[in-house]
Amino acid sequence: MKNIRHSWAEPYKIKMVELLTMTTAAQRKKALVAAGYNTFLLKSEQVYIDLLTDSGTSAMSDRQWAGMMLGDEAYAGSRNFYHLEEVVQQTYGYKYLVPTHQGRGAENILSKVLIKKGDIIPGNMYFTTTRLHQELAGGKFEDVIIDEAHNPESEFPFKGNIDLDKLDRLVKKYGAKRIPYVSMATSVNMAGGQPISMANLKALRAYTKRHGIKVIHDMTRVAENAYFIKEREKGYKDKSIRQIVKEICSYTDGATMSAKKDALVNIGGFLAVNDWDVFEEARNLVVVYEGLHTYGGLAGRDMEAMAIGIGESVDDDHIRARVGQVIYLGQKMIEYDIPIVRPIGGHGIFVDAKKFLPHIPQEQYPAQTLAAEIYLDSGVRTMERGVVSAGRKADGSNYYPKLELVRFTIPRRVYTQAHMDVIAESTARVYQNRDKIKGLKMIYEPKYLRFFQARFEKA
Amino acid sequence: MKTIIEPFRIKSVEPLLFTTKEQRKELLQKAFYNPFLLHADDVMIDLLTDSGTSAMSSAQWAGIMLGDESYAGSKSFYHFESTIQQLTGMPLVIPTHQGRASEKILFSIVGGKGKYIVSNTLFDTTRANIEYSGAEGVDFLCEEGKHPSIPAPFKGNMDVEAFEKFIQEKGAANIPLCMVTVTNNSGGGQPVSMANIKAVKAVCSKYSIPLFIDACRFAENCYFIKLREEGYSDKSVESIAHELFSYADGCTMSAKKDAFANIGGFLAMYNVELAKQCRNLLVITEGFPTYGGLAGRDLEAIAIGLNEVMDEHYLQYRIRSIEYLTEKLVAAGVPVMQPAGGHAVYLDAKTFLPHVPVDQYPGQALIGALYVEGGIRSVEIGSLMFGKYDADGKLIPAMMELVRLAIPRRVYTQSHIDYVAEVILEVFEKRNQIRGLEIVEEAPALRHFTAKLKPL
Repeated sequence: MKNIRHSWAEPYKIKMVELLTMTTAAQRKKALVAAGYNTFLLKSEQVYIDLLTDSGTSAMSDRQWAGMMLGDEAYAGSRNFYHLEEVVQQTYGYKYLVPTHQGRGAENILSKVLIKKGDIIPGNMYFTTTRLHQELAGGKFEDVIIDEAHNPESEFPFKGNIDLDKLDRLVKKYGAKRIPYVSMATSVNMAGGQPISMANLKALRAYTKRHGIKVIHDMTRVAENAYFIKEREKGYKDKSIRQIVKEICSYTDGATMSAKKDALVNIGGFLAVNDWDVFEEARNLVVVYEGLHTYGGLAGRDMEAMAIGIGESVDDDHIRARVGQVIYLGQKMIEYDIPIVRPIGGHGIFVDAKKFLPHIPQEQYPAQTLAAEIYLDSGVRTMERGVVSAGRKADGSNYYPKLELVRFTIPRRVYTQAHMDVIAESTARVYQNRDKIKGLKMIYEPKYLRFFQARFEKA
Repeated sequence: MKTIIEPFRIKSVEPLLFTTKEQRKELLQKAFYNPFLLHADDVMIDLLTDSGTSAMSSAQWAGIMLGDESYAGSKSFYHFESTIQQLTGMPLVIPTHQGRASEKILFSIVGGKGKYIVSNTLFDTTRANIEYSGAEGVDFLCEEGKHPSIPAPFKGNMDVEAFEKFIQEKGAANIPLCMVTVTNNSGGGQPVSMANIKAVKAVCSKYSIPLFIDACRFAENCYFIKLREEGYSDKSVESIAHELFSYADGCTMSAKKDAFANIGGFLAMYNVELAKQCRNLLVITEGFPTYGGLAGRDLEAIAIGLNEVMDEHYLQYRIRSIEYLTEKLVAAGVPVMQPAGGHAVYLDAKTFLPHVPVDQYPGQALIGALYVEGGIRSVEIGSLMFGKYDADGKLIPAMMELVRLAIPRRVYTQSHIDYVAEVILEVFEKRNQIRGLEIVEEAPALRHFTAKLKPL
C-alpha cells in the first residue's frame, strides 16, 4: 500500500479569477532571448504558470479584501497598526512591533541595530538578502546548518537543523562577544524549504543562553515549518499549528518577517523583538528608511490584510492543503524520475540541476540553464538557486554552493491541481531531452544580488 | 457662478469618531504633546499630512483589483513606467515604496562627506537622507519666501544669484545635485515659477550640475503657473508639466501626494549609469526593479492617479479649497502664510503666540491647542522639525515657526473646512492662555516624529 494519497483538497472555493495568457513556442523563444536567459527579466504576461516565487503572489481571501477596504490611511496612529500589533503579540508572542514595507526592510534595520563591524553571524544556511544586509552592516555570515542540508538526497526529516558543534567552534574561535545573534530561519529556503525541529531549537536556546547570544528568527515560513514538526516530531501530533508556531517563537528573542509568504499578503513585513532597547533603536531607524513607526512604509490597508492573513496562516486546514499541494507536485516529479531535493519541502520543489544536467559544469550555470529550458517548453517560470544566486565573496571570487537548484515555488491558494500536472509534465519532457541542452555564459553582472538582473547568452 | 463644486461625488465613506474636550486633554497628555503619537481614532479632522491620505477614485480602486502581483515583469509595472515616461519625458523609471526611499537611494549615490546638495528648500526627510550620507543640504529660498505675511506669486522660487555665488565659493565639483521642490512644502506650499526653473537650469548647465525636481506636488505647482505666470493661461496643465520636467535631469516623487495613492514613489532620470547604480541599491532595501517594494496594485493606482491629477476642474477645486480656508482666517486677523499655498494652510505661530519664545516651540504648543479645542491634528514645521543644537547645546531655531494644516485630497467637505476655521478662531481668541513646551526625549534624526514633550 505505497503512496496512498492523503487528499489535500482546498479548504476554500474560488471567488475571483485572473485570466492567463497562453504563448507559442516561437514567442517564448523570442521572449527568453530578450530577457537574457534570466527568468526574472521576463514580462509576467509572457508567463503561463508563474513559479518564480511564493513571495507576494498569494491569493488573498475575501476577508482580507474586506480588510483592504477598512484601511485607515492616517499617517500616524492608524488603527490597522494597533490591530496588527495585537495579532503579532498574540500569534507569535513577540512584544514590540516595527512594520516595514517588506522583509528586506526589516533585515536592513535589524542588521544595522545589532551588528558591529567585525561581528560574526552564524545561521542555518544563507539567504540572499539576509546575508547581504549582514555584510553591509559590517558582519560576516557563517553557515552552521547540519551537513545533511547540503546533500539533496538525504531523507533526514529536519534538514534545517543547526549543528551545535559547528556553532560551538565559532564561539570558541571568535568569542561570544563577537557573535551578536544566531540568524535562525524556519523552513530554510536555500536548502529547499527544509524545517528545523523543535528539539534542535530548544537545544539552540539552551546553548545561546549560556553564552549570552541572541537568537533572531527569520520567520517568513514559520507556519510551514510548524506543519512539518506536527507531522514528523514526537509529541506534536495533537498540537495545533497555532500552538507550535508560538512555541517556536518562544525560543527566540526577535524576528524579521516577510509577510509576503506565510501571511498571505502581496506586500508587507515587520521586525518584532522582545528587547525594549533594540525596539527603540529600530523605531528611530525605521523613519529614515521606511516610514513613521506606525505605518513603516505600508498603506493602512496592507497592515489590515496582514493582520487577517496571519490569522489564516496558522489554521491547520490551510497549512495542510498548502503543503499537500507542494507534496503532490513533488511526488509527480519523483514518478517521472526527475532528481529533486528530498524530502519535499514546504513551499516548493527544488530540482537538482547538477544531476539533471550532469554534462554542464557549474561555471556554465546548470540551474540557470534549466530554468530557461523549462520556460521555453511550456511557459512555466521557475528560478535559479545556485551559483548565480550565491554571488561573490568579499575577495571577488565566486561562491560555488554545493546545491545547484531550480526552484519551483508554489504561490499560496493560486494554482489548481491541473496546473500542477502541467508543471510536472513539462519538466518531464525537458528531462527526456536533457542531453541536447547547452550551458550559458554571463554577459552582464550587477554589483549586488546579481541573480535579479544578470544577463546571459548560450555558451 | 461663484461656487466651485467638487468634480466628483462620494462613493465610499469612512465614519469619524467623536471625542470630548476633556478626553482630548488627557489623550494629548498621554501622547506627550506630540500629535504624531496620537491614535488616529482619537482624531476628528486629520490635517497632519496630505501624504498618503487621499481618497482614491473608483477608477483607481478598479486598478487595485487589476494589480498584477508577479514578482518580476508585472503588467502593472509597465503601465506605471509608460505613464511616468510620458509625463516626465524621462526614459528610466524606478519604483520605490515611497518618496523617502527614492531620496535615500539617490543621495547615497551622489551624496557623501564634503558634498553640498542645494535647493530652494529641502523637506525634512530629504534633508535627513542628505545628512545621513554625510553631505550637507543648503537652502537658497528667495527673499519673499521668508516672510509669511508678504503676498507674492512665486514664494517657492530659488534665489538664483545666491546659488551661483555659492557654486563659485564651494566649487561645482562639490555640488553633485541641485534639487528644486515643487511646490515648496516647508516654505508654505508655495509654487516655483517656470521662469525661475529656467534660470536655475541655466546656472546648473553653466556649471554642469544636474537638476532634479522633487515632484511630489507638481500638478499643484503647474496649476499655479497657469494662473499666475504670463504666457501660460492658455496652456493645459499637462503641457505645463511637460515643460517643467523638460528642464530637469531627473526627479523623485512621493506618489502619496499628487498621484492620490496611499503608498508609493519613484525615481526617474536620463542617466543610464546613475540608473544602474540606483537599481543596484534598490534591490537591497526596496525590491526588484519592476516592483520596488510596492504591490502590483499600487503601481496601477499610481499610474491612474497621475493622469487624474492633471484635470483642471480638480485642480481648480483643490487650490480654491485651500484659498477658502485662508480667506476666512485672514478676515479674522489670524496670522497665516499668504498667499494660500497648494496643499495646506500655514499658521505663523511666532505671530500667533508672541509670548512663547522659539525655544519653547510655539508651533508645537499651537497644534496641541488646536487638537484639544476641536480634535484637529496638524503638524509643526518649525524648530521642533528643523531646529538643531549648537556646540553648547543651545537651540539653533528654524527660519520660521509654522503650523501646517495639510488638506488631504478629495477627503473633507466644505462643512469640515468651516468647522476647522471655527476651531482656529476659538483658539485665536484664547491664545494668551497657551503655554510653551520643552522636550523631554528625542531621537538623533527626524526627532519630530517621536519626540516627547511637556508643558512649561
